[in-house]
Amino acid sequence: LSATVIQRSVWALLLWPSLLTVSMPLDCKEEQGSLSGCTSISQEKLLDRVIHHAELIYRVSEESCSLFEEMFLPFPLQLQSSQAGYACITKALPMPSSKSEIQQISDKWLLHSVLMLVQSWIEPLVYLQTTMDRYDHAPDMLLNKTKWVSDKLISLEQGVVVLIKKMLDEGMLATTYSEQGLFQSDVQPEMLESVMRDYTLLSCFKKDAHKMETFLKLLKCRQTDKYNCP
Amino acid sequence: MMKKFGEVILLLLLLSFVPHAEVTRYSLPGKPALTRCRSPEKETFTCWWEPGSDGGLPTTYALYYRKENSEMVYECPDYHTAGKNSCFFNKNDTSIWVNYNITVVASNALGSTFSDPVDIDVVYIVKPNPPEKVAVTVMEDKGWPFLRVSWEPPHKADTRSGWITLIYELRVKLEGENEWEMHLAGQQKMFNIFSLRSGGRYLVQVRCKPDHGFWSEWSSASHIKVPDYFHRERSVWILITVFFAFIFLIVSWCIHINSHSLKHCILPPVPGPKIRGFDKQLLKNGKSEDIFSALVVSDFPPTSSSNYEDLLVEYLEVYIPEEQELILEESKDLQDGCLKPKGSTFDSDSGRGSCDSHTLLMDKCGEAKDDGRQTDQDGTQTGSEAQRQQAAWEQEALTYAHEDMISPDMSSGRVKTWPSVFSPLPQYSLSPLNQPSSLETAKQHCLSDSLFPPSSLSSYLTQPGQSTKEALRSSCSDFCSSNKQPLLLHPQPDARHQLQARSDVSISSISHKEAPAGLQLPTVRSTEYVEVHTVNEEDMVLLHPVPSGHSHGKGCLQTHQGEDYSKVNGVDKNNVLLLQREVMEEQVDMCPCENQDANGATESYCTSSAQKSIPCIHTALPVQEEKAVNGYVDTATMFPLPIH
Repeated sequence: LSATVIQRSVWALLLWPSLLTVSMPLDCKEEQGSLSGCTSISQEKLLDRVIHHAELIYRVSEESCSLFEEMFLPFPLQLQSSQAGYACITKALPMPSSKSEIQQISDKWLLHSVLMLVQSWIEPLVYLQTTMDRYDHAPDMLLNKTKWVSDKLISLEQGVVVLIKKMLDEGMLATTYSEQGLFQSDVQPEMLESVMRDYTLLSCFKKDAHKMETFLKLLKCRQTDKYNCP
Repeated sequence: MMKKFGEVILLLLLLSFVPHAEVTRYSLPGKPALTRCRSPEKETFTCWWEPGSDGGLPTTYALYYRKENSEMVYECPDYHTAGKNSCFFNKNDTSIWVNYNITVVASNALGSTFSDPVDIDVVYIVKPNPPEKVAVTVMEDKGWPFLRVSWEPPHKADTRSGWITLIYELRVKLEGENEWEMHLAGQQKMFNIFSLRSGGRYLVQVRCKPDHGFWSEWSSASHIKVPDYFHRERSVWILITVFFAFIFLIVSWCIHINSHSLKHCILPPVPGPKIRGFDKQLLKNGKSEDIFSALVVSDFPPTSSSNYEDLLVEYLEVYIPEEQELILEESKDLQDGCLKPKGSTFDSDSGRGSCDSHTLLMDKCGEAKDDGRQTDQDGTQTGSEAQRQQAAWEQEALTYAHEDMISPDMSSGRVKTWPSVFSPLPQYSLSPLNQPSSLETAKQHCLSDSLFPPSSLSSYLTQPGQSTKEALRSSCSDFCSSNKQPLLLHPQPDARHQLQARSDVSISSISHKEAPAGLQLPTVRSTEYVEVHTVNEEDMVLLHPVPSGHSHGKGCLQTHQGEDYSKVNGVDKNNVLLLQREVMEEQVDMCPCENQDANGATESYCTSSAQKSIPCIHTALPVQEEKAVNGYVDTATMFPLPIH
């Protein structure tokens, strides 16, 4: 017992700074006599902002995808993009795929789904930026958009974490960056292969962004009107 | 034989039938193709295909689909709901965010044909129904109407829960026009349209689109009529019209007020000649005597001048030979070439344009002189000729010295001209062809039309012997009739006033400031000079004879010897100054006026002119008798002021 206690205390001590970094901005006491003095945001407003974020992310990702299609993808391949060997990375994640299915999912699960999606896309987007830089004639707009999306996704993640904490009273840790990505490879891929992979990445992200947006909107509906919402 | 023949015929018949049999060949069905798949609300969707040729046999079509991540192939659950050649997927069969791989198969008895597979994701094929319940109303905003359009999303689309987010667009146009005006309304369900035409009929349509799909069809057109707010526009126009009319009135009134000054600005008055006392009517009547008499100024010569200092001007001795005199006579242009002494008072009646300024006067007279030359009908003298003659004259002047007609200083004796007029003629001097016993002061009243051109003088000088009176034309400078021309003739060897009064000279002017020194007359015994003493208050030129001459100091010239052309006879009708040749014995009494004049103390001219002016013109001799032999010329009588 003492060993586990010591272990846990050590863990707590080690993890103490990270807890602070995550929770400090959120540690504004909503009750009177708060020490930090920061104004807290209401749950509705927070949800609205998160939804707005998701909407923007989806719109920009859609634009990036169509830009990429125009620039790099030969026409015949556009039709076969889904048949290509590149499946979406989030294929494994269990997601509802219809309105009726979503209706059966709880709020908590909805939020967690969103968080999962967000967290799983942060790194691939960073990777995408590096690969895009390798292209010779990638337009600046495309690069700017992907960069923007990547940044916004991080803030979306933070928002969802706060939302989870507020709505579900759960504390969670945000994703920590790791320099090593899953996609880094020393071998320079072939151009076409790289293009196909990147295109798949973009289109999958676009779809997932739409999922996030939809989930969050449904969540909002449920907050206001529990019975008529899916 | 017969059998073979029959077989051949049968074969032929069979062959003939073969083509007919080929018409009814059957084949595999043609390849169908999926044309489109649409989902109206992201919960169900429909796919349509286009069949190919059926191959002559009854063909059936089947649609098979496969979801991504699964190898299960399913067939279309509903072939009928959406019509022919369609497949309808209901809610249970519809999954979003999932790729469907759909294929259509056409089959007939002979076989089946597969279409090309198509991948779709329901999320991306959403095409909603048009918005519903489009309502357009006219509303007013401070008197200006606008349209308010409101609508509802299609009832199938679940926008309330956020399942679908729709954005709307509407378009407006006037009835009868072709151009639509588009407005993007975003996610709102209401929109205001401004800038309407009064009384216009408008059509409004709305459509919608999800953020990831296709535009819907336009809703059915809603008609609306905007009421007339014509009166408001009219009032604005009325206001504008009144405003501009007001401004116009003000502007026209200003112009009217300043019409005179404007007229002066735009159309400056052209100066015209004006001679006091000149009556056009008389001229038209043709009675020259009347005209001339009318022009005679009663108070000329100036006998009383309050400020006769002002009248003192420089003198000009001008020579005009015969030819030139002719020229000058006929020049009719210079009616206003007048001499005005510096500072003399101007007659208000005179032609201002030419006499207003000294320089103008100079120019005018200079022009007149030129005109006189050019209008010379004789055409004898030209400008260049005049110049030559002038040069010649100067030379001649020198030659004349021995003839004692010319003062030694004549050549150098630049007779100073009237500053205002005769500055271009400074080198005139008088050649005393005759004894200038008689004052030629009367010449100042010569009213020839032109001035003495230098050429005339020079040419005149070349003919020293010329003595005819007629030859001596009184081409004299014009005077403003009203002007009292003081003529200072100082024949005495006065440093200040030097005069060379020539008998033939019509005008002599001597600068009273400068000394044409050397005009020594004493050597010229025969020449008598008259000296203009002063001009008294009444603008009368007071003359007294040269000391060498007669002792008669009364202003009567002495008798003269020899041929003396110093006396001005008169001015004939051609404005010719008639000089009389006098002989010694002739005592042309020029003092009759003096007799008349009770004032003997002063040397004065007779100022009365009116009664004597006219007779002077006609004849020379009578004039001769009249005129004082002393050299004084009753200018008033001698020279009425006619103007040709």
